[in-house]
Amino acid sequence: MLTVTNVDKFYGGVKAVENVSLEVNKGKIIGLIGTNGAGKTTLFNVISGFDKLDRGSVNFDGQEISNLLPSKIANLGMIRTFQTATGFPRLTVLENLLVFSENNNFEFYKNFLNKNEQNKEQIEKAENLLKKFGLFEKKNQWVVDLSAPELKILEFARAIMGNPQIMLLDEPAAGVNPALLEQLMEIIQELNGEGITFLIVDHNLRFICDISDFIYVMNDGKLIAQGKPDEIVNNELVIETYIGK
Amino acid sequence: MEGFLIFAISILTLAFVYVILCLALNIECGVAGMWDLGIVSYFGVGAYSYAIIVAPEAASYQHYLFGLESNPIYGIVLAIILGGVSAYLIGLPSLRLRREYFLITTIAFSEVLRITFSNENWLTNGVAGIYNIEQPLKSYFSPDNYIVLLFVIFLCFSVIVYKMVNKLSFSTYGLSLKALRENEALAKTARIEPSKQYHSVYVFTGCLAGFSGALYVWLNTLIVPTQFTPNVTFFVWTALIIGGIGNNRGAFLGAIFFVILLETLSFLNLSAELALVVSSLRIALVGLALILILRYLPNGLLREKPTVL
Ligand SMILES: Nc1ncnc2c1ncn2[C@@H]1O[C@H](COP(=O)(O)OP(=O)(O)OP(=O)(O)O)[C@@H](O)[C@H]1O
Ligand SMILES: [Mg+2]
Repeated sequence: MLTVTNVDKFYGGVKAVENVSLEVNKGKIIGLIGTNGAGKTTLFNVISGFDKLDRGSVNFDGQEISNLLPSKIANLGMIRTFQTATGFPRLTVLENLLVFSENNNFEFYKNFLNKNEQNKEQIEKAENLLKKFGLFEKKNQWVVDLSAPELKILEFARAIMGNPQIMLLDEPAAGVNPALLEQLMEIIQELNGEGITFLIVDHNLRFICDISDFIYVMNDGKLIAQGKPDEIVNNELVIETYIGK
Repeated sequence: MEGFLIFAISILTLAFVYVILCLALNIECGVAGMWDLGIVSYFGVGAYSYAIIVAPEAASYQHYLFGLESNPIYGIVLAIILGGVSAYLIGLPSLRLRREYFLITTIAFSEVLRITFSNENWLTNGVAGIYNIEQPLKSYFSPDNYIVLLFVIFLCFSVIVYKMVNKLSFSTYGLSLKALRENEALAKTARIEPSKQYHSVYVFTGCLAGFSGALYVWLNTLIVPTQFTPNVTFFVWTALIIGGIGNNRGAFLGAIFFVILLETLSFLNLSAELALVVSSLRIALVGLALILILRYLPNGLLREKPTVL
């Protein structure tokens, strides 16, 4: 479904990503771990079109996407999150979801000419999601007033609104307490059960190992290991970089 | 008709011109979050477009292009079109820039345009301006009735623009602008293409500002380049901040409040010296009002409303 081949991304002299190849198969949950500065976010930026790669290719559903704009890539059904989740701070919780509605038409002239009623179906879908995630009471509050855990949850609700095929999550477990982490894992597994594919970056080795079908390990811009979770936890190179010799 | 009533109606008629500018600025800056300090550019382009089409042929001591004495409707249509076209062209370089750089570029372009209006004698009759631009329908009405008619027409125009801007603000398009304002990177992941949205809203703003420029000339019957200094931009911004940035009703009320504030002092019957002092105090008074509003009503008179309630 998503194939990254021999990708390089340099910032001046910094080789943020160097010769990385990976494969994400449909319906799987793929983990990507690595120490600080390993190049995980940069790789996400390249895949989602936020950064142009210097070499290599990114293929999504049989289509080369490395030269597409982020909005176009999102339109193909790929949704990414950001390391710091802020949402749209001064929009309401409900608006935050509606921005992502699947059949939004953002064209000026369409909205100018047509009588536009907010799509009832999409509002209903958003409200049901908010109910499911326990945010319904806050639907008319500004997102800037939400707590950090609520923001984390909102990220998922937002992504689901867009009905993505694949979600790229950048450190969903960072700064999350164990109870919430449990909840997030349940959400991810449920969505995965509904057919959504995941590529998840995190520092938390336990979390990644618990949830992933397959794991890639990056260090200093390069892939240093890949394998099933039990292979990764026993991989000497991984243990070395994570725990030291 | 009673002097005061005529005065009040005239002021409100002028205020409706500002209402349209203020609504234009609101969808661009309040809704889309673009820091534009050049709205006077398109106001000026619209005003001059209208003037050179509607004015009679230039006299021997004047120079300006066209002077077709054509139907004011064409003048208004041309003002809207050229307002939009100039916004499109100025948007090409300036919309690549973010925030403070965009702000500086837009104010610079507005000054370039003003200086062009002053210096290109063949086009605009330069600093002397263009006078005696006939008001549409004037001959059919008595002067007093015409003042009322203008009031009604301008009121209708500003209400139509209000409805249009309001509809857009609460459409999916408006939601995309708000999303861009709040978090551009995240908006991209919602399939929104920033450059497309920014360009379209900028051109739309240009059209509306051009429209209000045409009305401004209609009202004043004359045009000179000094009418198009950055002061206009700052006035409109002040009016919008007073009314409540992001709220269209606020933009409407803010513009009216502002023009009343600015013009009322000239109504006082003062000696010549005192009048001079008071007229320079007008700006100070506006500043004071702004400070008080920001102190006691940081969101302006009316706050931004969510898309769905
Ligand atoms: N815009 C940029 N300009 C210059 N260097 C950058 C830029 N973005 C990232 N880098 C560098 O690229 C390298 C990889 O950074 P990246 O953010 O991808 O790491 P990461 O694996 O996501 O780290 P973390 O776990 O801290 O989020 C780092 O050395 C970083 O300093
Ligand atoms: Mg990172």
